[in-house]
Amino acid sequence: MKNVIEVKNLTKEYKELKAVDNLSFAVQEGEILGLLGPNGSGKSTTINCILSLLNFSEGSIKIFGKEMKPDAYDIKKDIGVVFQDVAVFEELSVYDNIDYFCGLYIKDKRVRKKYVEEAIQLVGLEEFKNFFPKKLSGGLLRRLNIACGIAHKPKLIFLDEPTVAVDPQSRNNILDGIKMLRDRGATIIYTTHYMEEVEILCDRVIILDKGKIIASGTNAEVKALASIEEKVSVEAIDLDKKYIDEIKKFKNVDEVIYNNNILFIRYKKGKNNLDTLLDYLKEEHIKYNKIYSERPTLNDVFLELTGKELRD
Amino acid sequence: MFIHNFKYALKTLFRNKMLIFWTFAFPIILGTFFNMAFSDIEKSEKLDIIDIAIVETDEFKNNEIFKESFKELSNKKNKDRLFNTKYVEESEAKELLKSNKITGYLLLKDTPKVVVTTSGINETILKYVTEEIKQTEKIVENLAQSEIKKEVEKKNYNIDYDQIYNKVLEITKDSDANIKNITSHNLSYTMIEFYTLIAMACLYGGILGMVAINQNLANMSSNGKRVSVAPTSKGKLILSSVLASYITQLIGIFLLFIYTIFALKVDYGNNLALVILLATVGSFAGLSLGVAVACLFKANDNVKTGIVISITMFGCFLSGMMGITMKYIIDKNIPIINKLNPANMITDGFYSLYYYDTLDRFYFNVVSLLIFAFLMIAISMFSLRRQKYDSI
Amino acid sequence: MTVFRTFLKVLNKCKTPIIMYTVFLIFFGGFNIQTSDNSTNFTASKPDILIINKDCEKGITKNLIHYIEKNSNIIDIENKEEKINDALFYRDVNYIIYIPDHFREDFLNHKNPKIEVKSTGDYQASLAEMMLERYMKIANTYNKNLSSEKKIIKNIDDTLSKQAKVEITSKLDTDHLEKATFYYNFTNYCLLAGCIYVICLILSSFKNEHIQKRTIISSMNYKEYNRKLLLSNSLFSIVLWLFYVLLSFILLGNIMFTLHGLIYIINSFVFTLCALTLAFLLGNLVSNKNAINGIVNVIALGSSFLCGAFVPMEYLPNSVLTIAHILPSYWFIKTNELLKTIESFNLETIKPIILNMAVIVIFTIIFVVITNIISSKKRKIN
Repeated sequence: MKNVIEVKNLTKEYKELKAVDNLSFAVQEGEILGLLGPNGSGKSTTINCILSLLNFSEGSIKIFGKEMKPDAYDIKKDIGVVFQDVAVFEELSVYDNIDYFCGLYIKDKRVRKKYVEEAIQLVGLEEFKNFFPKKLSGGLLRRLNIACGIAHKPKLIFLDEPTVAVDPQSRNNILDGIKMLRDRGATIIYTTHYMEEVEILCDRVIILDKGKIIASGTNAEVKALASIEEKVSVEAIDLDKKYIDEIKKFKNVDEVIYNNNILFIRYKKGKNNLDTLLDYLKEEHIKYNKIYSERPTLNDVFLELTGKELRD
Repeated sequence: MFIHNFKYALKTLFRNKMLIFWTFAFPIILGTFFNMAFSDIEKSEKLDIIDIAIVETDEFKNNEIFKESFKELSNKKNKDRLFNTKYVEESEAKELLKSNKITGYLLLKDTPKVVVTTSGINETILKYVTEEIKQTEKIVENLAQSEIKKEVEKKNYNIDYDQIYNKVLEITKDSDANIKNITSHNLSYTMIEFYTLIAMACLYGGILGMVAINQNLANMSSNGKRVSVAPTSKGKLILSSVLASYITQLIGIFLLFIYTIFALKVDYGNNLALVILLATVGSFAGLSLGVAVACLFKANDNVKTGIVISITMFGCFLSGMMGITMKYIIDKNIPIINKLNPANMITDGFYSLYYYDTLDRFYFNVVSLLIFAFLMIAISMFSLRRQKYDSI
Repeated sequence: MTVFRTFLKVLNKCKTPIIMYTVFLIFFGGFNIQTSDNSTNFTASKPDILIINKDCEKGITKNLIHYIEKNSNIIDIENKEEKINDALFYRDVNYIIYIPDHFREDFLNHKNPKIEVKSTGDYQASLAEMMLERYMKIANTYNKNLSSEKKIIKNIDDTLSKQAKVEITSKLDTDHLEKATFYYNFTNYCLLAGCIYVICLILSSFKNEHIQKRTIISSMNYKEYNRKLLLSNSLFSIVLWLFYVLLSFILLGNIMFTLHGLIYIINSFVFTLCALTLAFLLGNLVSNKNAINGIVNVIALGSSFLCGAFVPMEYLPNSVLTIAHILPSYWFIKTNELLKTIESFNLETIKPIILNMAVIVIFTIIFVVITNIISSKKRKIN
């Protein structure tokens, strides 16, 4: 696998604040990389630095193996960016907006026409082609924002929180579209603070906090960082205290809470936890209604690493 | 690329209602107001017929010169008619004066007396005419006396009064002053209002320049960010956007010229080519002002528009838009202010084309505008050349 | 109280543009009255004359200059052709007399020397020309008849000394009243622009689509809501009005302590209320903050130009004045113009003033009614 982006020791300081602190990572061809982190963790700053929009104090950035500069047009032509803020012209229709931004990349009119139509299809705005941005709802506007960024079929796409404040229908549409882009062979960098999106979408994830990488790897790798294996909840009515004490002694058990007729057990690393529990329940003839087992989420990882929730 | 961007820049400009209002509609609306307000000022500076009364005293009845003169000056058939005269009793004259029906009345005793309520143009004319008649009377008297004296000196005691009267008339006849008016024909000072209007329209073009810059700079708008990551040279994009703004502006100015020339009958002098030159250069100065404002201030579009409008209105105020005298006072007492004021450079340029026969002053203004424009662009360059920012 | 408190908070948020705008307007008003002498004082009875003498100042030449000086305001302008031409164009001087070289000599030799003049062609210039023509005519007449320069001059002086007595009956302080009228006419623009700008700005926050939805579903009657908003806004308008009244005392002085001054103030107060309700109506119609600047300029400048706030009413074409009747500014300015001619106040002289004010009040009521009709219709959002 080729590295599409290589970031080495990137540091960006504002007056008092270190927005990005000695960041190094690489993005491989064809993957969707999730940049996950709470608000203000440095995600957008990192992207703006990579795109050469911002000056940075230290570090080097290479895209497609070449150094990224403001006038590195041969690199830029293969990049598509969808910014966090909706960046479209109020005065232009949906079609014209996409055509304008696409036109900054694609000179051939016929090719451009085809590309614009495809982008409209991709985000599902066919019915709104001649609408002006003012008349679009928040979700549709986000879709237009995306279409403007990717119409020229870039090989490398940056998506900076494209789903903020978007209704579920539009969100699904957007996520499907992103997958489609990946299937067409694009490399995608996706920042968000919704971990669910990262879990569905991303091949690899980098978790940022205060401008530093606190974890990175595939979904599974990152989750493996969590000290727990799983969380099990059992709905059992009026459970005797002796059973609870008994369960606490099981192998791998980290914590047991019984509250509101729900027994909550957290397991440390280890195998066959659920089996052991089910066997015990059967043996003791304990009646239970429902039982769930959950794998740890990225939020759990984040919580464990930083001591705070991903979303505040 | 250049044309692609140019095409869409034009499209966005023409769809922006705010911009179109300020650069196209507002100057035309304001021009219409000016026209309504000023169309009669200079006409009304010419004399009206003045309502007066004359008290029929015995002295007046017996004074042929006064009687005949006022009769002639009040004659409806006389094209130089000055007065509409009523012959009344003194009490009635007082009454008429009190109710403002007449400007004043003449009371002829030993010396003529003019009674008026206040001092004003019409009152002054009444006084002048009265004096003129009285003085004519005096000339005739003096001349007659001196003629008689001459006859007496010639020992001619058989004086023919008719002959002397004719001689006196002869002397007074060809005594008119030899006055030659060398004023330039173009003296209509309300034209200044319309010139400030053009100046305003030119400088409002700055809003267009500002939009062109804002759309292309990453630190000014989110659209600018998007443009910045595209593989196109920023210089090219800015140049084509600014050109689109300039052309839009020139179309606006052109419409304004058509409107002011054909609908409002504004006189720009005779040299059309120079008028176009000045408008083109003036618009360029306005554009560069907007570019500089866009580059120097980091604020949203509304604030920047506010800044351009304020600078423009203040400049126009100093160059006479809200009172023509203002321009003259500044020009006379603190000329440096208006030499630095782009609105005045444009106004003064039109003024010198209209009023002066020589072109020195005109070219001085054109060159000043060019210097102003290049200065603005030079300042902007610092910001425009930057490709990366410390913060967005 | 809630409405009022919120109003104050919004006002506080917008304070920078509001203060800027107000200072700008006050500056306009103050500056204009200071410079108003030349532009409005069309009634000065002595023309402004500039004499450029290329002859020596002796004999008949000296006498001519002396005569002109006595009967006009001599203007001193740097002797550069451009400065002189500018002065003429801007009516700093009405009439320029160029006395040629050898004027005296040529005159005494009966050559009737040519005098070049420049003229603005207005009243004053006509007076100046009459003056010059008269002098030359008299001089030429005596020149034919008499031989010595001394005698000629003596006769000229003798003739010109025959003047008319003038009695001015009015005891009005015309100069000051003229200024006061000019000032209060100008406040037409300031009050309108100030009220419309600020109130529209504030209302655009209140009438924001989402906020308006909330107020519509609230339990407060829309009429009551409007009334409270109007009252809050009136506070601002009255402060603005007080500002201009205060400024008038500073700029105009004693005249403001007379009965005339009181009526100027009452008149402007009535007009302020009208401007307030007009602004309120506009604020209800317009929710777009960007459009406010345009509306302010069109309406405030429009009514000022059409009704004679900048250019005295007497100089406006009749057709324009006819149109102006439909604007409240017209009635406001009409009262100001009336004031400067009224000598003593009695029922008859004050009647037209009261009528004018009544018309303004009717306008005010109409604006309030329309505002209520519109907001009652706007309760349903399309």
